[in-house]
Amino acid sequence: MSKAGSTQPSERHLSLLVTVLAFALPVVFVLVPLAIFLVYSFFSVDQGTIIHAPTLGNYVRFFTDPIFLPVFWNTIVLCVSVAVICILLAYPAAYFLTTLKGRWRYALLMLLLVPLLMSYVIKIYAIRSILGLNGFLNKALVALGILEQPSTLFVFNMNAILLTLSLLLIPFAILPIFLSLERIPQTLLRASDDLGASGLQTFLRIILPLSLPGVASAASFVFVLAIGDFLTPQMVGGISGFTFGRILYSQFGTAYNWPFGAALSVALAIVVICAILIGERFGRNRGTSI
Amino acid sequence: MNQNTDLLTLRSVSKSYGPVPVLHDIDLSIRDGEFLTVLGPSGSGKTTVLRLIGGLEPLTTGEIRLEGQDISRMPINRRPFNTVFQDYALFPHMTVSGNVGYGLSVRHIQRKEIARRVAEALELVQLERFADRFPAQLSGGQRQRVALARALICQPRLILLDEPLAALDLELRRQMQEFLKSIQREIKTTFLFVTHDQEEAIGMADRICVMQAGHIRQLGTPHELYYKPNCEFVARFFGENNLVAGKLGPVQGELRPIETALGRLVCSISDQPHLKAALDGASAFAAFRPEALRLAGAKDNDNRLSGTIADLAFAGSSTVATITAGADNAAQRLRLRMPSRIDGSMLKSGETVSLSFAPHEGHLVLA
Amino acid sequence: MSALPRPSTLFLAAITTLVAMLLYSPLFVPIVSSFFTISHGDVDWSSPTLSTYRALAANHDILAALRTTLIVGMCTVVLSVVSGTLLALYYHGRRSGRSVLQFIIFLPFLMPPIISGLALLIFFREIGLERSLLTVIIGHTVFVLAIVYRTVLMRLQSMSRSLVEASYDLGATGWQTFWRVILPNLSSAMVGGAILAFALSFDETMITILVTGTQSTLPVRLWAMMRLGFSPDINALVALILMFTVLLCVLAARFLIPRQMATERA
Repeated sequence: MSKAGSTQPSERHLSLLVTVLAFALPVVFVLVPLAIFLVYSFFSVDQGTIIHAPTLGNYVRFFTDPIFLPVFWNTIVLCVSVAVICILLAYPAAYFLTTLKGRWRYALLMLLLVPLLMSYVIKIYAIRSILGLNGFLNKALVALGILEQPSTLFVFNMNAILLTLSLLLIPFAILPIFLSLERIPQTLLRASDDLGASGLQTFLRIILPLSLPGVASAASFVFVLAIGDFLTPQMVGGISGFTFGRILYSQFGTAYNWPFGAALSVALAIVVICAILIGERFGRNRGTSI
Repeated sequence: MNQNTDLLTLRSVSKSYGPVPVLHDIDLSIRDGEFLTVLGPSGSGKTTVLRLIGGLEPLTTGEIRLEGQDISRMPINRRPFNTVFQDYALFPHMTVSGNVGYGLSVRHIQRKEIARRVAEALELVQLERFADRFPAQLSGGQRQRVALARALICQPRLILLDEPLAALDLELRRQMQEFLKSIQREIKTTFLFVTHDQEEAIGMADRICVMQAGHIRQLGTPHELYYKPNCEFVARFFGENNLVAGKLGPVQGELRPIETALGRLVCSISDQPHLKAALDGASAFAAFRPEALRLAGAKDNDNRLSGTIADLAFAGSSTVATITAGADNAAQRLRLRMPSRIDGSMLKSGETVSLSFAPHEGHLVLA
Repeated sequence: MSALPRPSTLFLAAITTLVAMLLYSPLFVPIVSSFFTISHGDVDWSSPTLSTYRALAANHDILAALRTTLIVGMCTVVLSVVSGTLLALYYHGRRSGRSVLQFIIFLPFLMPPIISGLALLIFFREIGLERSLLTVIIGHTVFVLAIVYRTVLMRLQSMSRSLVEASYDLGATGWQTFWRVILPNLSSAMVGGAILAFALSFDETMITILVTGTQSTLPVRLWAMMRLGFSPDINALVALILMFTVLLCVLAARFLIPRQMATERA
């Protein structure tokens, strides 16, 4: 914006104020809290009071204690599985959307995204009741003759967390995949047809490679959302479904060890940042726009 | 209006974006009441000239004077100039009358007065019936006219038009050219019109300022530029001159010969002292228009050229022949334009022809 | 795309239907139960009832939480729209420092909410701010700011620079240009951003759990109740919220489509 010297004194004061605010807001409410948080991870706790002296104890404990690393690893595996399930379901759906014309395409996209706006907590509750012993899933499996009697396989364990998170996060996978598929120029497909490729060949050699960036960002999206969740594991995980998020949360509740919780958060943040960077690296479009 | 008084003067104006210079030492005078067109290819700095005058960008060096008064540092909103933007820049959230009246309403002029002048301006651009429409509901030509009405309602000393016709199709562009010209005559305001289209420039301008690479190459009437380009760039950019390189020979009154690979060509140098002053043997071009070239008769002694017709292109009222002239190692393409004939041209492709042009229709350009 | 032959299209349609059913099944459970009684996993279709809605109207606990949520949502909307718009205006067309500060603004949105929430929790404790509605509002604002900022910034970037230039050119001052040209052109993006901010704030649970005081918002209240199992009136609430959300969603879509497109169609 070129104001070409038209600023009057009152405007200049205002613009100074705006400048200060523009820098202060993000710094004070985002950067400072995160910095303090990081510093906290080097503190320790003694009998319920926080000792403000730097120590690496929290990190040493994280790496040496036999509990934390396995849970950490299992959680990562869990969240990768969630991402895989989401993509396996979301990709065909997103692909189907792009085969539709005009208004239908976006209407159906909206239909698949609207559940995102529904209360997270309510959805977890509803899914839990579907997965439960008297739930719809068991009834359906018994009715189909797959199970003899209702099973507790689907609730209050790791499976339940896996299924619930996948169900909750599918829309987050649909959107980026849809966008990358939609960006593929139709002319490429026609060119491929024209050159004699079969439908499957066109899909495997043209569409799939060009949509991989969308798949990558979808995967990193879902993974990050899954690994940061502590509500779902707590609600459907029971005693056996123990995830990193739950341990982290408990440090600020029952365990009351904030500095250790901060250190665990740092570990979580590192994984998340890696996931985002990987998603970004492979999610960047190379030459889809011609 | 006295066309001979200068309204606006640019003195050694330069402009750089960071280390990148876009205008070098421009001097330009705009006369009161004239229609001045700044013509140049993209990247020539023509739009920058307009933006500097309008106050949309600060000068790097130099000064701009309005009737002698330095306005280089005057903020954009106090300059008595208004701009018609290339994309029209109509405010999408205001109706046509809201847009047109904006310049008056920000000056806190009474509502009644605004309504009266808006109606007047809309009448001038023939859009009375569209006062309550939004810009999105108008066609390109209509938007264009709203932008014009909005610019002229403040009665500016100078209206700046930044390629305003570029987005219109050919037919509409022709209509708008005539329309702009007639409005300019009616309100007698100075117009500074920027374009890259030489036909548009010739059709509308009182004077044309040709720019290239941040320099003004020539300033003159369309006639002067067409028949007497002063440099190779203008000669090539303006119309489709035939240019033949060579060395100048000694002055012969109002004529001067040039020795070229196609032989000796004699051209007029009347009213061009710099051509008279140029040293013998200096590099130059003979420039002559395709319509000046004709099949040589027995009486034509000067400027005889011979060549082979490489191509014939029928272009409606005229036919253009592309002719390869000169020896193989110095072959040169010339263009000849002549009236078309209903029974087909008398020329045939592949035919060898003898051509000539009158010395007073030839012109010299220093290299 | 006609790349795949028919059977594969059928397969794709089948998967899409499955996905839609999976996504909507959790929504239908509470809606169905809000009108019908469910015992031992069986729906009693024979006797539809509105008793759950009546019970909801009498549940002061839930209604108080709903009111709290609305207050938090409104405050979050006002704070995030004002600061998000100012930030967008400030960083639009400015290169220096923009990418870094933009990254900072986006951090709370990119980071898992548990990290943002815990960081704020410790921050509030360090500066001696008691956990209360105020801390919840700050937490929500920090969380949704990125969305509002981005929505407004994208509108600004799609706005032709010559609009502002034209305003100055016609003699307007900086203030006049701001109030009469820039702001009206941003307003629909700001309303759209506000609706998104409200929707996010309305459902925000994880940060809220960490920074809330004694007054809890609706999702946190529901979360606390869930451990004991819901009373049926919650289903009525959920059904109502679903309708409300769909309404918000339609509104947001309306405001985020630029005005020109809307009028062109008219």
